[in-house]
Amino acid sequence: MLNEQELLAALRQGDAEAFTLLFETYSDKIYGLSVGLLENEAEAEGIVQETFLRFFERLDQFEGRSKISTWLYRVSYNASIDLLRQRKPHMSVGLVDDDTLPMPAVFVDWSQWPERLLSEDEVTAELDKAISALPEKYRAIFILREIEGLSTRETAQVTDLSVSAVKVRLHRARLLLRERLTESLITRTVEHSGTE
Amino acid sequence: MTESKGPTWNKTMKCEELLQYLSDYIDQELDEELTAEAQEHLATCHNCRVMLDTTQQTIFLFREQGKRAIPAARRQRLFDQLQDAFLARKTNPQK
Repeated sequence: MLNEQELLAALRQGDAEAFTLLFETYSDKIYGLSVGLLENEAEAEGIVQETFLRFFERLDQFEGRSKISTWLYRVSYNASIDLLRQRKPHMSVGLVDDDTLPMPAVFVDWSQWPERLLSEDEVTAELDKAISALPEKYRAIFILREIEGLSTRETAQVTDLSVSAVKVRLHRARLLLRERLTESLITRTVEHSGTE
Repeated sequence: MTESKGPTWNKTMKCEELLQYLSDYIDQELDEELTAEAQEHLATCHNCRVMLDTTQQTIFLFREQGKRAIPAARRQRLFDQLQDAFLARKTNPQK
């Protein structure tokens, strides 16, 4: 396995295997962030393409001050946000966080869910619905931090936010998603009991 | 399945404070004193235990099943297009 400097050197020499490694390592990660934000597969694929092409253009100037993954995530995040802003000119993803903490309203344990009530596909569908309902400024942070597994600091670098802002948004995202999934659980439970 | 009404109050840490610190508690980023207070509260507050448990399960579900991959057919096409672009670029072995 090549380290980052070795990968960069091989890419600069036009090594086809290095390209394959780059694509296999990062294409789904970039896509995961973009499709999560845009909710549009074709647009997300376009972002993947655009991000790699920009990386190729910058390859000779890339100094390695940031990790390749951080650079790729940052370019794809900014491109996705630009597309979202075209759709929603008044969308807010900026620095100001004046929302209050979402207060939980439902205190139901999940001991009967999801294994007994929902198939894996149904759980995935509920997760998609829940994350789609999140405001974009929380969605990006949650995807990067929880689904893509970036550290808080890396997430801050990608989104150009402070570490504390990332923590605040992650916390709100977790609470909102928990509430949404719990509501789904109650709905599914009622539906399930109605069929028995 | 159990369901109960809203938050209760605890003499050491309040439910609202637990809620505020919940992510830091999950991520093990609270200092020792606050961790102990949170644990003391959780030992006596059913609703906050449910909050903790269901929030952790939410995170787990997304980590396990939240990843999205490029659909296989389009992935191959994208790979081919990008490989062509990569191989067509002028290489610079000096760096």
